[in-house]
Amino acid sequence: MSPWSSPAATAVDDRLFRAVAVLRVVLLGNTVAMSVVRAHGFERPIAGAACLVVMALWTGFATWAYAAPRRRTPALLVADVGLSLALLLATPWVKGDDVSMSLPGYWVIAALVAWGIAYRTTGGLVAGVLLASADLARQDVDGSDYGNAFLLVIGGVMVGYMCGSLQRMATERDEAERAAAIAAERSRLARAVHDGVLQVLALVQRRGRELGGDLADLGRLAGEQERQLRGLIRAEDAADAALPREYVDLVAELARLERSACVTVSAPAFPVELPAAVSDELVAATRACLDNVRRHVGEDASAWVLLQAFADRVELSVRDDGPGIPTGRLDEAVAQGRLGVSESIRGRIADLGGTATLVTGSFGTEWEFVVPRVAAPLGSAS
Amino acid sequence: MSAVEAAAVVRVMVVDDQPLWRDAVERDLAQAGYSVVAVAANGREALARFPAARPDVVVLDLQIPAPDGVEVTGEIVRQDPSVRVLVLSASGEQGDVLAAVTAGATGYLVKSASREELLAAVRRVAQGDPVFTPGLAGLVLGEFQRRSETPLDPAEPALTDRETEVLRMVAKGMSYRQIAERLVLSHRTVQNHVQNTLRKLQMHNRVELTRYAIERGLDAD
Repeated sequence: MSPWSSPAATAVDDRLFRAVAVLRVVLLGNTVAMSVVRAHGFERPIAGAACLVVMALWTGFATWAYAAPRRRTPALLVADVGLSLALLLATPWVKGDDVSMSLPGYWVIAALVAWGIAYRTTGGLVAGVLLASADLARQDVDGSDYGNAFLLVIGGVMVGYMCGSLQRMATERDEAERAAAIAAERSRLARAVHDGVLQVLALVQRRGRELGGDLADLGRLAGEQERQLRGLIRAEDAADAALPREYVDLVAELARLERSACVTVSAPAFPVELPAAVSDELVAATRACLDNVRRHVGEDASAWVLLQAFADRVELSVRDDGPGIPTGRLDEAVAQGRLGVSESIRGRIADLGGTATLVTGSFGTEWEFVVPRVAAPLGSAS
Repeated sequence: MSAVEAAAVVRVMVVDDQPLWRDAVERDLAQAGYSVVAVAANGREALARFPAARPDVVVLDLQIPAPDGVEVTGEIVRQDPSVRVLVLSASGEQGDVLAAVTAGATGYLVKSASREELLAAVRRVAQGDPVFTPGLAGLVLGEFQRRSETPLDPAEPALTDRETEVLRMVAKGMSYRQIAERLVLSHRTVQNHVQNTLRKLQMHNRVELTRYAIERGLDAD
């Protein structure tokens, strides 16, 4: 859509033309008052009065005509500026040669501004040049006449340029608002669709479990899909938050790990923004812990990841429900020089300036990472 | 006391826009001996039927046609502070779950929970025990953390160290029994800590409502 014909641009025009209508009345009042004060100087007072009546009638008509967008035709604008030109050129005949104030006076500005609104910079320039030429043609030129004419041209161009800018800005704002509304509606629809799919998957899973047999397998598959989709939605929702490229939301990154059936990720409801390098290391360390759980406790072993974010640090823990590491097993591993996995986990966290603690017991095995946090970008909920 | 006897007096209302799901839940609850006194397919119906049905427990899907589950929770808890709300959510939208629990819900369960998990959750919620998933505990921890960093009112309740510790363990997937063992506490004490956590979360909500009212000048005249 052209920035000049969009509904937003038309709304701007409407406002501006309403302002011109007021301006026209004020200028008419000024011209009438000046003419009455100097009525004795008119060579043909009756023709002068007739001209003022014409101006008053045109002021009323123009106010009505410009009020509706469909009536703002080129013919109207040509007539508007044409009348002003005619009155300027008729000035010597009506008022005599030695009267410096023109017959319509400042009233011509209304036509100039109308052209600026309707045809922007070009319109302001054309109307300004026409009116200035007519003003100069009706009299012997002196310095102040030239100044007035110059102001008409410059004023026309400036008004035209500003009207054009206003219309463009209104159109752009309108488009941005529309795009935002469309995006919001799309995400609302997606949510509804996702929710419907999740409901059905959950139902299949539930009924399958109850009915058993082949249906139990079907239910299990539905359950896997349901968890994957939920994780995906969660990660996508978090990704919507616009972040500087070098920062990522650790909550969203960790949520991806939940796609495997046995992992539960608990995190705050707000994004936890960390430099991408820090986040990557934390996710890698978490992944290593989860691999360990799978290897030592079992393929289907449950594991829980908890992320807590503080202003100065993040705390991340990975726990499993396994039998724990038997006493002496770690020492034995160290003695045999094969502490590869836990050393690599510790190494990653130490590189971030943090600490990694391993607790094990009848309650399972738990890794806890504490990593200091540097100043986060704008909008961080910390 | 058998499960049926225990449940005989519990009146339940089921709110869900999915007919299949609603029927399945209704059937499961009825089989377990609960009295399903009303069902509703959207927020409007739920609010209309709630006063007459007078349920003890409302099993409420968060994603229902407007008014949504969060608004319904807030409104029915306002009408009857003794009602227990168990919210279910298919998508587990973080913000909604936290908002519902802050608005007064006593428990939260993902919809993919099994029949047994659902019945256990309804039973516990009916007794006034909060039902926390590890995910919800993580959200609540985050919420208290956020509030402690931007305290709006020094009188606002914060979690004690012990409550935080218990909540952290819930978020790490530990059962109350495991927590009790590890902290050398009674099962009941652990439950009380979790209950206090929820109470403080919801108290904050009332503080916020009061502040909101004052800011809007409702107290001025």
